[in-house]
Amino acid sequence: MQNSPTRRSVTAGLALGAVSLPALRVGTASAQAKSVKIAMIAPLSGPWARQGQLLRQGADMAVEEFNSQGGIKSLGGAKLEIIYADAGDNTEKAKNAAQRLLSDHPDLVGGSGAWLSSFTLAVTEVTERAQLPWLTLSYSDAITNRGFKFVFQTSPTAEWQAAETLPTALKLAEHATGKRPKTIGVIQDNTASPVSFGKHLREGGGLEKVGLKATVDQIFTPPLSDATPLVDKLRSAKPDFLLLLTSAMPDCKLVLEKLDEFKLAKGKMPLVGNGAPFGSPELLNTIGPELLEGMLFSVANWPLKGQEEFIERFKKRTGEPFATQDALCGYGDVAILKEALEAAGAADKLKVAEAIRQMNLTTGPAAQFFPGPIKFDEKGRRQDVPMIFAQWQKGVPLTVFPEDRALAKPFWPSV
Amino acid sequence: MRTRAEANRQRWAILGVAAAVLVLSFVLLKSAYYQLVLTQVLLWAVLSLAWNILCGYSGYFSFGHAGFWGLGAYTVALGMMYFDLSPWISIPFCALVGAAAGAIIGYPTFRLRGHYFALAMLAYPLATLYVFQWLGYQELTLPMKREAPLLYMQFEDPRGYVVLALGLLVVALLISLKVENSRFGMSLMAIKQNEPAAEAAGINTWRWKMLALMLSGALAAVAGGLYAVILLVVTPETVFGMLVSAQALILALFGGVGSLWGPVIGAVVLVPLAEGLNAELGDVLPGIQGVVYGVAIIAIILLAPEGVYWRVLDRFSKRAPAAEPPSQMPARATNIAPLPRAPVSTGADLLVLRDIGISFGGLRALDGIDLTLPEGGLYGIIGPNGAGKTTLFNVINGFLASDSGAITFAGEAITGLRPNQVCRRGVGRTFQVVRAFPRMSVLENVIVGAFIRAPTDAVARDMALAALDRVGLADQAEKIAGGLTTRELRLMELARALVPHPRLMLLDETLAGLGHDDLGGILGVIRQLRADGITVLIIEHTMHAMVQLVDHFTVLDHGRLIATGRPQDVVRDSRVIEAYLGKKWSDRVAVPAK
Repeated sequence: MQNSPTRRSVTAGLALGAVSLPALRVGTASAQAKSVKIAMIAPLSGPWARQGQLLRQGADMAVEEFNSQGGIKSLGGAKLEIIYADAGDNTEKAKNAAQRLLSDHPDLVGGSGAWLSSFTLAVTEVTERAQLPWLTLSYSDAITNRGFKFVFQTSPTAEWQAAETLPTALKLAEHATGKRPKTIGVIQDNTASPVSFGKHLREGGGLEKVGLKATVDQIFTPPLSDATPLVDKLRSAKPDFLLLLTSAMPDCKLVLEKLDEFKLAKGKMPLVGNGAPFGSPELLNTIGPELLEGMLFSVANWPLKGQEEFIERFKKRTGEPFATQDALCGYGDVAILKEALEAAGAADKLKVAEAIRQMNLTTGPAAQFFPGPIKFDEKGRRQDVPMIFAQWQKGVPLTVFPEDRALAKPFWPSV
Repeated sequence: MRTRAEANRQRWAILGVAAAVLVLSFVLLKSAYYQLVLTQVLLWAVLSLAWNILCGYSGYFSFGHAGFWGLGAYTVALGMMYFDLSPWISIPFCALVGAAAGAIIGYPTFRLRGHYFALAMLAYPLATLYVFQWLGYQELTLPMKREAPLLYMQFEDPRGYVVLALGLLVVALLISLKVENSRFGMSLMAIKQNEPAAEAAGINTWRWKMLALMLSGALAAVAGGLYAVILLVVTPETVFGMLVSAQALILALFGGVGSLWGPVIGAVVLVPLAEGLNAELGDVLPGIQGVVYGVAIIAIILLAPEGVYWRVLDRFSKRAPAAEPPSQMPARATNIAPLPRAPVSTGADLLVLRDIGISFGGLRALDGIDLTLPEGGLYGIIGPNGAGKTTLFNVINGFLASDSGAITFAGEAITGLRPNQVCRRGVGRTFQVVRAFPRMSVLENVIVGAFIRAPTDAVARDMALAALDRVGLADQAEKIAGGLTTRELRLMELARALVPHPRLMLLDETLAGLGHDDLGGILGVIRQLRADGITVLIIEHTMHAMVQLVDHFTVLDHGRLIATGRPQDVVRDSRVIEAYLGKKWSDRVAVPAK
């Protein structure tokens, strides 16, 4: 997995040496007299460091911008202060990070992050007991199935996404070509999120409901060593489109390259994926725009109409080619906490939590960063959220659905 | 093996550590975070101790203890999710799961040794990881029980988990102590230092290794179960992953492999170090914590290659063997006490070999060997290098299975028995190159041989002392075997073979490499064996010594038995001379004989 920023900072750190470390710490921890503390836990090291960094970039940007705009007005212009903790590469480290944050900063009023579902599950066990309102972009249904009162899931859950992805994709296909696809090929790995997605399709009747027949249905264990047997099946069965559910980039690359080799790529066999990794800059760097052209993917959050200014600011600030789900949610979560603080009028975690529960935002910075209104149900899930679809068009993954917030028109690659 | 007083001291030390942890948890540490880290220190220490029981004592390294840990974690998680089973019930049940897994894994894997064993062990958790993924258990969460949290081991106060983990650690330490101080631990240590010697000394190496793996697996699984309760989220990667196996290994290597306190020291230092680095550096320079952690481990391993515990012990006690022999054992080098045994009826056939043959690839190492040893004599086997003498011994005592033929000992067929079973039936042996347990004391070396006859460890000790007395090594009993001279090593090995009162002794070049002065003492011991009614079969190169010593000669050449008879007749046999010196010499001897 790509995490060059991390590697670079490691090298930089070694060069700087231990002497400068305390100085760096003082820099981040410089508390202001009147500030409100929020937290973010994200994998800043390990295999998911890249995603964690993006989340952090978004949050950093939000805190800076809100503070420069005058802080929390209902608290007399109090500034936001965000404390980061590294969730590392395993659940134990993530949980420790949460426990440490709460012990070191009992005055936290809210937090966000954890990224990987299993990290979020562990982190929220801690934050729930401390009654700290916690926002997360993780998809797993289990996060909001435990009867917790202080966890708020800003992304639509995995099951819901599984239920919505195919009908929406079919709608797009029908709209573009006038024909409704009849057959589908499914290729997926057996990691947590593709498995729950696939389970919905097969056991949950997800395929039958939309009248699709799976002519290829293959599950593999990553890492994939050779995609030939999988793609060979596609070549002979020729499904109307391919649902690709991979979680690791090398596997995705192998499949796409093999598709190209078998003359099935570049729109010959339309591709649909699920999840933010399908729109990552790394995918573009390793696979290139040609093979990606036309690939559709459903995702919890993606740059929307109305965020054009933000996207420009973000690109300028970070040097990233485009904004993705992680940076958007990092920014958006801070925005939700800020709105909640404004509404609560007090730096009090219980009041902030209550403000989030009462929230119903359709305008303002928070609403701008998510599709649909910011409104949570009893479980802590957002209500009335549309499924977002993005499509690779000329080397950029652009939101194409829902239409009212799309940045481009979708096309259905035709044979 | 520790003395009773030492064991008691260790027990007090365990209690002291437990009390210190309680004080730390209940008085000094105020934050829930430190309590959590303390709990993790205790749990990882238990895993590392479990690893140490198998790997530290027996020397069989496992890269796969995550397998047991993960099975424990999944037992608890699945039990709670699908059967509403409280961890109070499922965690003890983990011990059964772990032990069963140990038995299933051990059965095929103990056919391997060394690196092959370690690598095979690595495969189990990695394979299990995929099985659990395939079963659809990618992400399990233990449900939060709001009604009866205590019934489900869910404490509001994190100190509850500290107490539980501490209790488990105390149990693990006491089990380890018990193992160390019994024939279980002694046998494992003997296996670690020289497995064939342990097997030949009558130790059922297979059984002890299996027991160690099962015990180790049970402890690791229980710790894994408690880990699931504390973390509340179980994924295949976190519990079956390489990091868990590595953690068990690193903590023990760091603290001191094969010691009671090593794994605890490792956990106390490394777990908080890693967490502290995560806390201090994780958000500043993400990733640097791993680098610092790695460098710290490398530095300490360089400074203390055997682990911190042994290093500190060396520094303070010099780990030297007791210089003075215990006063109650007067040195009696020459006065050999008779062996207490039932009178034997000499003359009946004790060992009968029929048509023994064995090949290694194209080499016929033994071919149609027929040999009958009546009880009570001193028999010699001679032959040039590569004649098959040691191979014959290896076939008799079970190290090698012959391709053909049958072996009968005292009227019982022993063909195909394992060495320890042959030893139990009364066949002792020594080796061409002495196979000692170099890091154990002389007394311990001999005690290992006594287990098959001794009902208790105390009796084993007395028997060993008596055997040492017989060979004249009583004054060296406390010396570490690694520091003995060749003569002393030979005598010690003799004592080890002698201690269970065998009926037949197989001595493989016992006289090799000894000077003239040393020879006398050993020859005396061997003659005394015969006087005590023990049948002796000895391999020797030194014709001169053999002619003096034995009643009966058997000559092997190229795997065949070429001559047998009284020494003075055999040395004149032209085939024997030819085998030893070549055709030219046999002709020259044959002419004057005419």
